[in-house]
Amino acid sequence: MMVTTARPALRHNAGTDAAALIRIGDVSKTYVSASGAAVHALNRVSLDIRQGEFVCVVGPSGCGKSTLLRLLAGLDTHSEGQLLLGGEPVVGPSRKVGVVFQAANLLPWMNVRENVRLPLRVGGVPAPADDRIDRLLAVTGLKDFGDKYPYELSGGMQQRAGICRALARDPEILLMDEPFGALDALTRERLNLELQRIWQENHKTIMLITHSISEAIFLADRVIVMSARPGRILADLDIAIPRPRTFDEIVLHPEYPKLAREIRGLLNAQENLHD
Amino acid sequence: MTEVINPAAAPAQPIPPRTKPSRTRLGSPIAWIGLVVLIAAWIASVQVFNIPSYILPRPEAVVRALWSGLAVSPTSSLGYYLPLWGTLSNAAIGFAIGVALGLVIGSLMAEVPAIERLVMPYAFALQSLPKVAIAPLVVIWFGFGDGSKIAISALLSFFPVLINSFTGLRAVEPERLDLMRSLSATRFETYRIVKLPNAAPFIFAGLDMAVVYALLGAIVAEFLGAQRGMGVVITQAQAVSDVAGVFAALVILGMLGIVLHAIVRWTEARVVHWSANRNK
Repeated sequence: MMVTTARPALRHNAGTDAAALIRIGDVSKTYVSASGAAVHALNRVSLDIRQGEFVCVVGPSGCGKSTLLRLLAGLDTHSEGQLLLGGEPVVGPSRKVGVVFQAANLLPWMNVRENVRLPLRVGGVPAPADDRIDRLLAVTGLKDFGDKYPYELSGGMQQRAGICRALARDPEILLMDEPFGALDALTRERLNLELQRIWQENHKTIMLITHSISEAIFLADRVIVMSARPGRILADLDIAIPRPRTFDEIVLHPEYPKLAREIRGLLNAQENLHD
Repeated sequence: MTEVINPAAAPAQPIPPRTKPSRTRLGSPIAWIGLVVLIAAWIASVQVFNIPSYILPRPEAVVRALWSGLAVSPTSSLGYYLPLWGTLSNAAIGFAIGVALGLVIGSLMAEVPAIERLVMPYAFALQSLPKVAIAPLVVIWFGFGDGSKIAISALLSFFPVLINSFTGLRAVEPERLDLMRSLSATRFETYRIVKLPNAAPFIFAGLDMAVVYALLGAIVAEFLGAQRGMGVVITQAQAVSDVAGVFAALVILGMLGIVLHAIVRWTEARVVHWSANRNK
């Protein structure tokens, strides 16, 4: 089982994939912790993500997967290697990227509509017509909630608004940092379904970080399994399960238990290293 | 009168914002019971212990003094209205100046580390100085007119706003700053859209203190010499040993303080509406 994991990784990281929208080439990240010690967060991570792909990254806590996302979002700088978005080096936050944060991260003093419109008000973006916001709210089922404040919304509704906001500038790439981690299982599945639909309709390229193996397999074209710190890529698994997927059907697919077992095995091996 | 001592000795600690605005203390029945007990004890001590009226006047005498000050034409020189207006307008102007300066300098300190290092030590040094003790100096500089009242009011209301706005502007969740950075927001956009609203509960806690200090500043300045104001009413009553008159003026000032406090709370509940509901 372990042997097969190396195969897709080699194929994707051959480094000559011209269609790669995101190219992460031998990227390492070292930062100095508060106590003054050097922390190796990422160790020579290489990953190409093609236009329109849905990639999920799983790994043990503190494995540097959030760091990887922050590097791509331009919120942090890498120490070594090459980081390209659409062929251009990442030098800071990019218009091509929308970020969905953990626990929605809405501004409590703005209503839903104002929160979703925020990306169009700042950073010198020319403001498009209001109907774009209306369409986004409709797509995410928030049409009747535009005037509500975040505290009036459930966690699931808040994260819908968070996704809406990330889509406001119509970015090519969505980076999602454990977006559904704080939600209950049912809400999470419902939002997974909606995210799949939004992705299929909008042809975005998505990189989503998660702790949940079932969420990763359900959503992803490829699941990237990362090691404990310093984060390396352990496996790059193709999820060849036809879409649109549902949670009822996916567990019956013959690939599903194999993939789940493989990912769980890799993650458990990492946890044991720690103990 | 403990409030006269407080601002001078108050440490430069920021007041943490209330997580949830409680009901005004006046709204609680227990507060009214306290008032009834206080007045009963007052009547009892005057009746039973025969305390002379030049030390503790009878409640009826205070009520009579209040009535004679209130039941007159608003333009009468014998009523409370003209001195009240004088004190209040000076305190309001001083409050506005102190709040504006506190907000601007607090914001600059929060945004520019060099300014923080430059200003902070002096801010703390000045804060630990009993500012009421500077009042005579301020009177020398600004004279016995409205200028010295406004200046002392501004000086006293400045500090709570400075410290609280500085603390509040620094207390932003890093995720919210990440959000603004991911959107390539300018520094001023981040300040206006995230930091300032985020600091609003802190700033209102500062305003709540500042509004009472502004009133206090105006009264203290009037004690040192003035032609009009509630401070003058008190010193004139004192000069003729009219203790009931002094008490009546204090009652007026106490009520005024409560009203000002209530105005700040009322405004806060409307501006910072999300804060009260955050934990729902």
